[in-house]
Amino acid sequence: MAAASSAHFFSLGEAQMQQPQNGAGAPAPVVAAATPAPKKKRNQPGNPNPDAEVIALSPRTLMATNRFVCEVCNKGFQREQNLQLHRRGHNLPWKLKQKNPKETRRRVYLCPEPTCVHHDPSRALGDLTGIKKHFCRKHGEKKWKCDKCNKRYAVQSDWKAHSKTCGTREYRCDCGTLFSRRDSFITHRAFCDALAQESARMPPIGAGIYGSSSMAIGLSGMAASQLQSFQDQAHSSAATAISAGNAQFDHLMSSSGSPAFRATQPTSASSSPFYLGSADDGQAQPAGHTSLLHGKPAFHGLMQLPEQHQPAGNNGILNLGFFSGASGGGHDGRLLFPDQFNGNAAGNGRAGGGDHGNSSNTDSVSIFSGNMMGSGFSSLYNSPDQAVAPPQMSATALLQKAAQMGATTSSSGRGSVNSLLRGLGSGGALNGKPTGAGGFMAGDSSSRSTSQTAENESQFRDLMNTLAASGSGAGAVFGGGFPGVDDSKLSTRDFLGVGGGVVRSMNGAPGLPLRHGAAGLGMSTLEPEMK
Amino acid sequence: MVQDEASSSSVTSSPLQNFSNMPLHPAAASPTTPPWMLRELRSDERGLCLIHLLLNCAAAAAAGRLDAANAALDHIASLAAPDGDAMQRVAAAFAEALARRALRAWPGLCRALLLPRASPTPAEVAVARRHFLDLCPFLRLAAAAANQSILEAMESEKIVHVIDLGGADATQWLELLHLLAARPEGPPHLRLTSVYEHKEILSQTAMALTKEAERLDVPFQFNPVVSRLDALDVESLRVKTGEALAICSSIQLHCLLASDDDATAAAAAAVGETERRSPESGLSPSTSRADAFLGALWGLSPKVMVVTEQEASHNAVGLTERFVEALNYYAALFDCLEVGAARGSVERARVERWLLGEEIKNIVACDGAERRERHERLDRWTRRLEGAGFGRVPLSYYALLQARRVAQGLGCDGFKVHEEKGTFFLCWQDRALFSVSAWRGRRFD
Repeated sequence: MAAASSAHFFSLGEAQMQQPQNGAGAPAPVVAAATPAPKKKRNQPGNPNPDAEVIALSPRTLMATNRFVCEVCNKGFQREQNLQLHRRGHNLPWKLKQKNPKETRRRVYLCPEPTCVHHDPSRALGDLTGIKKHFCRKHGEKKWKCDKCNKRYAVQSDWKAHSKTCGTREYRCDCGTLFSRRDSFITHRAFCDALAQESARMPPIGAGIYGSSSMAIGLSGMAASQLQSFQDQAHSSAATAISAGNAQFDHLMSSSGSPAFRATQPTSASSSPFYLGSADDGQAQPAGHTSLLHGKPAFHGLMQLPEQHQPAGNNGILNLGFFSGASGGGHDGRLLFPDQFNGNAAGNGRAGGGDHGNSSNTDSVSIFSGNMMGSGFSSLYNSPDQAVAPPQMSATALLQKAAQMGATTSSSGRGSVNSLLRGLGSGGALNGKPTGAGGFMAGDSSSRSTSQTAENESQFRDLMNTLAASGSGAGAVFGGGFPGVDDSKLSTRDFLGVGGGVVRSMNGAPGLPLRHGAAGLGMSTLEPEMK
Repeated sequence: MVQDEASSSSVTSSPLQNFSNMPLHPAAASPTTPPWMLRELRSDERGLCLIHLLLNCAAAAAAGRLDAANAALDHIASLAAPDGDAMQRVAAAFAEALARRALRAWPGLCRALLLPRASPTPAEVAVARRHFLDLCPFLRLAAAAANQSILEAMESEKIVHVIDLGGADATQWLELLHLLAARPEGPPHLRLTSVYEHKEILSQTAMALTKEAERLDVPFQFNPVVSRLDALDVESLRVKTGEALAICSSIQLHCLLASDDDATAAAAAAVGETERRSPESGLSPSTSRADAFLGALWGLSPKVMVVTEQEASHNAVGLTERFVEALNYYAALFDCLEVGAARGSVERARVERWLLGEEIKNIVACDGAERRERHERLDRWTRRLEGAGFGRVPLSYYALLQARRVAQGLGCDGFKVHEEKGTFFLCWQDRALFSVSAWRGRRFD
């Protein structure tokens, strides 16, 4: 605190030195006499920038213009240096003090007005002249008035600057109104009726993210080509009873993503009727909603196609309510699209309730799509007919499968790769819910495998531990959040045909099943990570 | 469960059993021929083979057994293809990275092949980033959330200063200009300071933004700062005291964690002690530069700082851990791209080669100060940011709605925005890939 008080004196010193020079009633610049007493605070230590000293001056001190007064003729000066030069004229001893850049601390100033933003030290202004002008402008009386317009100013320099440009620049709105001031012009334009037509045709804010409306054109090509491509797929895989359901959603999965993104493929003539036909259906709203455009037409096409191929039983899934667009139909938990375009269709001003509905649909659909992946697995495992090519698995699905298989084929030796695979599995597994069962499996089988005598096992066990720890630790924090979020949905997911019991126990204590493989997975490291 | 395992082994035992029995060392003769030479593999079998091979190769490379790594790479090359399905492309990228890593043992070869020059030019990188924005929505979602936070933080400000720590992509700022122009109280004066290594890209951004700002009638000023982030002088940002400041960092901060002390850390890890205790290098020497930088940012006292980072731990000392983590992470990204683009898409190829491929190469094949892609998960960043003096600000609910709306509008239900304690996790199929968080400088007490 001693340091603070010395700084106190340091900055007061200037002020106090003028006290004897003042003599007669110049405005008392001494801060102590004014209200309030100055608060000089230090910044928090550790700030790599040089500490800035925060100075709060009273309004009187701030507004005092001529703080430095000559003792001989009582002429006031704004700056110390100017006073010293003036003293030369009186043959008085004068000394020009140079500011030592090393010693001088950077100062920031506070606005004395308590309601002002800059009253807070974190928003202090860096310049004394700046704070003076700010205080005048914002909290001072406006004594200067422009003669052309009616604007008033508190700071003379502002007034001068304005009168130079007043009347020279004019804004004209499209409705014909003339403005000399930019801010009033902009405010007017926001509410002007004449511009209402223009703005309705502009894409809403959210759609700006999607880029230009040329995407719609690219989309038609994409949608068309995708329709054609999964037409073929639908033919080939519709045969299998089990994978029919999977394939259908695989098509949805693979082609639902594509319409939203740019396409480079040319339109194919045979499929274009899908797009065109659906484009007509979808235009319930003005064409301005390009954000709708790129999702909806493709889905119209999508909906049409699988209907043709699927047996009646599965039809209910692709809800025809989608075509009604604006209706609230299709609250089938597994169908995302109608409600979501519903929400978009009503414009960005749609209340949060609509969005809530959308997001819950999203969750349920995403889980369902996760289910699709899982059931893709199960089709591989359970289908008696091995000649059927399973739908093309994504890389993440392959990794998960490799992890599980690495666990199951551990009996055939080569422990090193399998250890890595277990690590791969547990590392990847806990990064998301769908692989929770996989992690369980990995845990189980690793406990079996550790009893085997595989070569290089010990060398890789250490590796495995760290793999599992880093993967599981990261995933557990994340996975810990998720089961809570989608608790109710967990029981519906059945990735490997395992049955609800296993999955539920995973949900109840995510770490618990993995403890079975304690030796293999080094679960001791999992504990501290699972906060 | 047991039944599944039995059936699984019956389904896929043939290619992989051959595999597990197959020795990696070429000298050891084996009666079993690799399965892909016997018959044409299904895509999933091929994918599984690739995964096995990659793991073998990584283990061999980490242990220094270059012959084994070479054999594995040979096998991988016959299965992987940069224009195949997702797994093949991932495998091709990782194989290239592993090959580079193995070649480090022979620096003469590296230099003769002019390997460093094979990296893409800045223009190509910019193009690839643009394509990545188009094909995958993650960074767009993050940008939308960031813009929303900035908008809310600067609600009644007349002058707004935004510092962009290296995105150098105009899309986010165009959006921000639109948002600001649509404010009910009129647009503020926007000053944008953008930090980037390459001048030409910056000037292109400047032109695009200035034009748009004029069109929208938003007072705008663009200050380019040509500098690498780890060499940035905070003074050059010219932050005026007391102005309303927002900082936005989009997958940039992790390069600050690069440091040269990997050698010592690796040596210690070889003994086996440190690896158990701290699998990731969170020790002081490597993070002091990051902490200093964050402290400098804190010294600017921003009103809001939005940080987007990859949600992955690619900063472990050991190669195999990094490899496995990276394999999972980039497999998810490649899957996402697979959904997003057609098979022969040039844009996707560019993203995979010039953007993701470079990241993979950096993570796997480089070490020390060269390895700049040091992704870390949000909890570690949280500790660092809080240590530097920042306090977390939850991203608003409205921002969440916006982001979700963008995600849903894309039509593919693989993208999700998961919100946890005010932070957004941008996910693909439940795997979090990016995290977006907002921070503010703590006020003086």
